[in-house]
Amino acid sequence: MKKYILSGKVVGIALGLMTVLASCDKTIDEPQRSAYAPASVDEKAGTWKTYILTSSSEIAVADPKAVSSPEYIAELASLKQKSASLTKEQQEAVAYWGSGAVYRWNEIARELSARYNIPPAYNAEGKYPVPDAANPLADPKFPFANPPYASRALAYLSVAQYDALVAAWNYKYKFNRAAPSKTDATITVSLPVSTIPTYPSEDAVVAAASVTILKAMFPGEVPFLEAKMKEHRESRLWAGMNVESDLVAGVDLGNAVAAKVMSRAKTDGMAAANNQALTAGMIEGAKARGLREAWVSQETPLRPPMLPNYGAVLTWNFDKATVVALRAVPPPALDSPDFKKDLEELQNIQKNQTREQARIANYWSDGAGSYTPPGHWHRTAANVSYEAKHSEVRMARTLALLGTAEMDAAIVCWDTKFYYYYPRPQQFKVKTSVGLPNFPSYTSGHSTFSAAAATVLGYIFPDQAETFNKQAQEASTSRIYGLIHYRFDCTEGLKAGTEVGKYAIARGKADGSGL
Amino acid sequence: MKNFIKLLVISAVLVTGEVKAQMPHDAIYMGKGQICVATMYGRSTWTEYWENSLKRSNSNIGTHTTQNVMVMPAIGIAKGLNVILSLPYVWTQTSAGNLLGQKGFQDLSGWLKYRVANTHGFSVHAVVGGSVPVGNYVPDFLPMSIGLQCRTVSGRLIANYKHPQTGIYVNAHGTYSWRSNIKVDRDAYQADDRVYNTREVSVPNAYDAGLRLGVLRKGWQAELWAERTSCTHGDYIRRHDMPFPTNNMQATTVGVYGKFQPKQIGVNARFGYVTDGRNVGQSTNLMVGVLYQFKLWKNQ
Repeated sequence: MKKYILSGKVVGIALGLMTVLASCDKTIDEPQRSAYAPASVDEKAGTWKTYILTSSSEIAVADPKAVSSPEYIAELASLKQKSASLTKEQQEAVAYWGSGAVYRWNEIARELSARYNIPPAYNAEGKYPVPDAANPLADPKFPFANPPYASRALAYLSVAQYDALVAAWNYKYKFNRAAPSKTDATITVSLPVSTIPTYPSEDAVVAAASVTILKAMFPGEVPFLEAKMKEHRESRLWAGMNVESDLVAGVDLGNAVAAKVMSRAKTDGMAAANNQALTAGMIEGAKARGLREAWVSQETPLRPPMLPNYGAVLTWNFDKATVVALRAVPPPALDSPDFKKDLEELQNIQKNQTREQARIANYWSDGAGSYTPPGHWHRTAANVSYEAKHSEVRMARTLALLGTAEMDAAIVCWDTKFYYYYPRPQQFKVKTSVGLPNFPSYTSGHSTFSAAAATVLGYIFPDQAETFNKQAQEASTSRIYGLIHYRFDCTEGLKAGTEVGKYAIARGKADGSGL
Repeated sequence: MKNFIKLLVISAVLVTGEVKAQMPHDAIYMGKGQICVATMYGRSTWTEYWENSLKRSNSNIGTHTTQNVMVMPAIGIAKGLNVILSLPYVWTQTSAGNLLGQKGFQDLSGWLKYRVANTHGFSVHAVVGGSVPVGNYVPDFLPMSIGLQCRTVSGRLIANYKHPQTGIYVNAHGTYSWRSNIKVDRDAYQADDRVYNTREVSVPNAYDAGLRLGVLRKGWQAELWAERTSCTHGDYIRRHDMPFPTNNMQATTVGVYGKFQPKQIGVNARFGYVTDGRNVGQSTNLMVGVLYQFKLWKNQ
């Protein structure tokens, strides 16, 4: 009998434990973003200097109907009906898009970058097929959104958003059509209403411009992007924020601006960035300048290097001669004491990597399957801009300055990498705790991206400049801790990145924003 | 340490009774006051793995090897009630490529095994287990990581029939394991085709089931076994990507087990081979152990 009482107890305890555990949820907490009214409406933003548009009025926007017109009154009535009562899904869409059009589309672009950031697998013949833009969902998927690719996609996205918003701001304050709820106070609004005129809609402008760029950059995601666009557009009606004509004018303007931005993208040299025929001449040149042993892929089968001619892609904030001028000084010779010292540092870390070194290496690795270092800095910029309650146009300016600097950093760094063709530490039997990128070592891409970003963000958010510089320094050092860069790769990368950032600052200071 | 040596000396003097090493999935118990310490070495290797459902090799990994050394004491608390503990030290390496091997103490596990019913050779057993990570190892540098950093709680039921005369037995078990969320070093990662902006990763729960057929005689045991492990859900390794803790890892393994322990010292060995899987390596596993049984305290 005693035995059965005991068994009952044990089973009871076990069942109790299971019940407690079954009810414990596996959901994870992510930062929630809510809507805000901007700290400044930036009413003069229509005069800010655009990147591609010759002026903010280059693309015409039709005069809106008067608020007293029957057409507008009908639009208000329709809006009143659509926004009166929302389903749970509609409320969620309003809240999601309400936290910011630029903010969300930047986030979507980073997510696409992460999803497409996987190097192609080798096939049965031991070859790496090149992703095909005409067949984006085949294996390998197009694009391979590596760091240079992501820096470019995000730069064009941010520039298109910025130019489209500057144009939108020009027309908003030209036509001065107040928010629908200011004309008809009985309209239910679900988001904060500012004094920014709503024709054309900044949300529609951003959505259309973003979708145009992202469809070109991620051609396999057209249905996904169109669904996002549709939800974004409708959320403005559900929120009671825009009438239909605000949205139509915004979509037309966003599409037209983005088409102009895409015409630059089509001729910026990216089509030739993966010209593998150039590498033999690059290696020859580096050897003629004294390189004893050139970089070779450490993968089996040998993988062609990542975008060897990306250094020739068109820059944003300076010219081609500056790319050469910003090229780092020659790296240490492979048998020099400077080289040996920095190789020994890696050999020692490999033997005794501390957990803190591993943590830093992992935190900043942003490798395959991530949104890459440019994506990491876009995220930082978008979050800081959000915290500062930037208007849509000001957040777009921040991201355009940052985004163009990141793409310029990629171009300068890739030019340097393939000019010197310097071998990775793995050619000297060093392993890695983060995965090895497939291109020459000197200089460090992470260091160049991070210093450029910290420089630009320090200018826009001077009170946080020290934090950004520390982060850039840590991102740079993380590549030593991860065992894939010599210290001199990182030091020189930081220097070049800082210079790249300064050119973006010069542009920012001259863009008429007074910021 | 001093006490431990003293314990060893005392136990060597006091040891009596029959010897029988045991595992968390079998129907074997230490008598009250008995302890059996298994010290085992394990080695698991694979050259092919399942990238989602695609079986492939990877010339930048070559052969992947995980080794471990584990101490596993089983303690008789009362008649039909045992505690089993284990703590492995694990290290990984590859024969090709340049991924840095990881090493360290993994997770401390404990099981409470209780014989619920026992009549005419039929027995039913309930096992409650739990594990906590001991080392601060990196959980998401797969396939080099030595563990996933989850805290787990498991519930297991075992049904066993042993023919009293011949010692032939059939044993079936089912387990459900709750696995905690984990924290990774990065503050954003991709899973389920989206980016999570947090350090926290949700690791799916897991279950396993096993079937065993064997002979258990005084001093030796021989067994054929098959096990199926799976997660309740999870994502998959994307084309040419690395594994991640959110993956739905599944494996069917078949193997043999044997033990020879005529007196207080014995040996055991287990061999397993993965026949089918998802998001795991097709591993061949070998484990060998030394068993040492002694009496910790006298029966009242």
